[in-house]
Amino acid sequence: MPRFLLTRISSGLVVLLLVCLFTYLVFFALSPDPAVQICGKNCTPELIDQIRANLGLDQPFWTQFFLFVVGIFAGRTYGDGASTVDCAAPCLGYSFQSSQAVWDMIVQRLPVSATVAVGAAVLWLLAGLVGGLLSAVKEGTFLDRFTTGLTLTSMSIPNYVLALVLQYVLVVQLQWLPFPQAVAFADDPVQWFLNFVMPWIVLAVGYAAAYTRLTRANVLDVLRENYVRTAYAKGLPQSLIWRRHALRPALTPVVTIFGMDFAGLLGGALITETVFGINGVGKMAADSIARNDQPVIMGVTLLAGFLVVVGNIVVDVVYTAIDPRVRVNA
Amino acid sequence: MKLHRISTAVIAVATTLALAACGGGGQNSSSGGGGFTAEPAEGGTVHVLQNADFSYLDPARGWDGGVNNFFRLVYRQLTTSAPGSAEDPNEIVPDLAESLGEASDDGLTWTYTLKDGLKFDNGDPITSAEVKFGISRAWDPGIGIGSPYLKQVIDAPKGYEGPYKSGDLPTIETPDEKTIVFHLKEPFPEFDAVLAQVNATPFPVDSGAGDEFIHEIIASGPYKLAEYVPGSTIKLTRNENWDPATDEVRAAKPDGWEFTIGLDPATIDERLISGQGADVNAIAGNIQPATLPRLQTPQLQERVLEFPGICTTYMGLNTTKKHMDDVRVRQAISYAIDRTTIVNASGGTQLGDPSTTILPPSVAGHKDFDLYPSEDGTGDVEAAKKLLDEAGLSDGFTMTLDIRAQESMQAQAEAVQQALERVGITVELNLIDTATYYETIGTPSQQHDAAITGWCPDWASSAATFIPPLFDGRNIYEKGNANLAQINDPAINERIDEIKAMTDIEAANEQWGDLDEQILEQAPIVPLMVAKGVMLPGENVTGLYSSANAATGGIDYVGVGLKDPEKG
Repeated sequence: MPRFLLTRISSGLVVLLLVCLFTYLVFFALSPDPAVQICGKNCTPELIDQIRANLGLDQPFWTQFFLFVVGIFAGRTYGDGASTVDCAAPCLGYSFQSSQAVWDMIVQRLPVSATVAVGAAVLWLLAGLVGGLLSAVKEGTFLDRFTTGLTLTSMSIPNYVLALVLQYVLVVQLQWLPFPQAVAFADDPVQWFLNFVMPWIVLAVGYAAAYTRLTRANVLDVLRENYVRTAYAKGLPQSLIWRRHALRPALTPVVTIFGMDFAGLLGGALITETVFGINGVGKMAADSIARNDQPVIMGVTLLAGFLVVVGNIVVDVVYTAIDPRVRVNA
Repeated sequence: MKLHRISTAVIAVATTLALAACGGGGQNSSSGGGGFTAEPAEGGTVHVLQNADFSYLDPARGWDGGVNNFFRLVYRQLTTSAPGSAEDPNEIVPDLAESLGEASDDGLTWTYTLKDGLKFDNGDPITSAEVKFGISRAWDPGIGIGSPYLKQVIDAPKGYEGPYKSGDLPTIETPDEKTIVFHLKEPFPEFDAVLAQVNATPFPVDSGAGDEFIHEIIASGPYKLAEYVPGSTIKLTRNENWDPATDEVRAAKPDGWEFTIGLDPATIDERLISGQGADVNAIAGNIQPATLPRLQTPQLQERVLEFPGICTTYMGLNTTKKHMDDVRVRQAISYAIDRTTIVNASGGTQLGDPSTTILPPSVAGHKDFDLYPSEDGTGDVEAAKKLLDEAGLSDGFTMTLDIRAQESMQAQAEAVQQALERVGITVELNLIDTATYYETIGTPSQQHDAAITGWCPDWASSAATFIPPLFDGRNIYEKGNANLAQINDPAINERIDEIKAMTDIEAANEQWGDLDEQILEQAPIVPLMVAKGVMLPGENVTGLYSSANAATGGIDYVGVGLKDPEKG
């Protein structure tokens, strides 16, 4: 097990380094000069040079990249003289557009994105598993066909449409929910909770549909396995067959997908957060793309990469716990 | 873009309305029947709903339409623009100073005297040393990325890099606690307007190094920072150390302000329309064009607030390109353009007025003329064809127009395309990503034949920040270039120098208007329209006046308050 973990972690690190390098390359090659953008309206060539030097953009590519990677582990200091800015490790750079350390910006918003992800995950897992199981058990009945139709509809509605429709119906017309307000949990827990209801539903709908289908298909597959028939033949009670023989193998693929989906979502739900004005990592990324704020986009990309890599490792570990067939010999 | 030239943050807001943040203008009366001009009552909290976060809380760094207006609530300068409710809201008036500056005979030395009783929010007095220190921050290469005028106008030793790196700035003298003396590089009759720029804000000596002011505000205005969550909320409460007796500009009636940031533009409109709860006390920027049809009910019409625009949307013609270097071709294009279609493409007459001049009506110096007239503003095809014949281009030609990949600008470009097709000019559209649009067209090597963009003045009391940056041929840069036409005409350059040197601002403004006409005779740009501001304030808000200088034509925050502070 430790060796297995070690190889997974080291390969994960390589993946992250490559993500880092490619993102950096893309911005270095494609993006226009951020200094010009900061310089703005009444700009002069001298001012552009000054800003470039200040941001370290006048250095060659490999120097910039090297300093960036070192900064992640050792931290960096920007500026010189009496006016410096410390960026402690893990330093993911410094936002061009808002002069803040990218790591601080992420840390501030990560709890918000996590709240969105956890709430949505609970909803979609519940709905997906229950829906999928019912559908499988009642295969071919009206309930099954209805569920299948519903999942198709849910998967077809784009997030942003559902979000706006939901907001119009629940908030504007029925007034069951207030408009989202920016409140801290400690100040107004009720409003805080209500803020997240719509984002949770919007995110969960798409995922729940996919999970329903996945669960249904897996359970049906397993129920057709020989060993299940054998179990029936041996006269085992149905509930036991379901619990012990069918559900567990049917759920392993769901766990795999869930690990990746959830980890990806922690890195920010771009569309949902933007539509509902939720100040999470996803909205920050979307805003930064519009502003061409390279360090922030880099930071969020790396974070998302990191979370997916970690998510995968966790899934692999959990996998061995659920499914004895894939247990590694220590 | 740093300034009112449609900040990058604003691009995010204005997904459909070009120049949205630049809407509004200098007239001091608001239209709409909602009674937004009633005197506000004392107390309550005004809510502001907005999409984009403020660029910076540090006035040496931030400098764009949205944040300048916010700064006005928390920061003061020696001078500032008159409140939006003033007879001439474009006027520059004394703020921390007792009166406007006294210039020496040679125009190189300007002296100001501070009022009594000025304090920061921590209770420390504001003296000439703090004013000088705050201003000198503009020279710091890492911090002074905001308004460039202080650096351009005030003399400084070569290589001076702000107080943190280079120490004292000897060209600003403080003979005593109340007096401050500026030495300029060359005479600048509008120096009062330069000191009204937000980066002339005083700060305690030695504060604000590095990123200290990224999350902090040391207030000199009527409000101080109570809470700031970047990308989410800003709350302001009263600054008890601000003495209303020292401030004739800021009514500051509400007890507090709450800015909610990061809201989807459609959601903002939805909230303003439904006006639930505290949203009756809310104001926001321009509504989305898509929301316009929904405002036609009598109840909502009563709440619609319209402000004239101060920014000109125009098409720059690159005079270094083949065909475009021929003045007859540029004039032909000026004749052929159909402004009626362009205004319709931009959301109709409620959102914009056609423009035939460089300077919009709300900017001082505006002169009303139309060198290339046509019936109903739909273009004079015959006159255009005749000029093209003279230029030997009877068979027409093909040109490339740079535009931002954004709905309303594409619609404008298509209107240009159709209009020019009538005279045989085929226009190919070159769509450029919103985030990189200005960088691309501001780089002459990447520019094509023409580009659609906009310009807003940095102060509207004269045309000094409108005409020179766009048409002074000596300022054509390899990058960050604003002279899109790349026109370098000695006659124009000379006139710019002459008018800039005039000490009689009113006379100068008249001459700017004449120069506007002189420039357009050569048709380096084609003015298209002036976008207006259309807003839907909450029903309990009042004191809404536009300010060209402080708010880029939007609502001047300093006069805003609530009708009934108990409501919402």
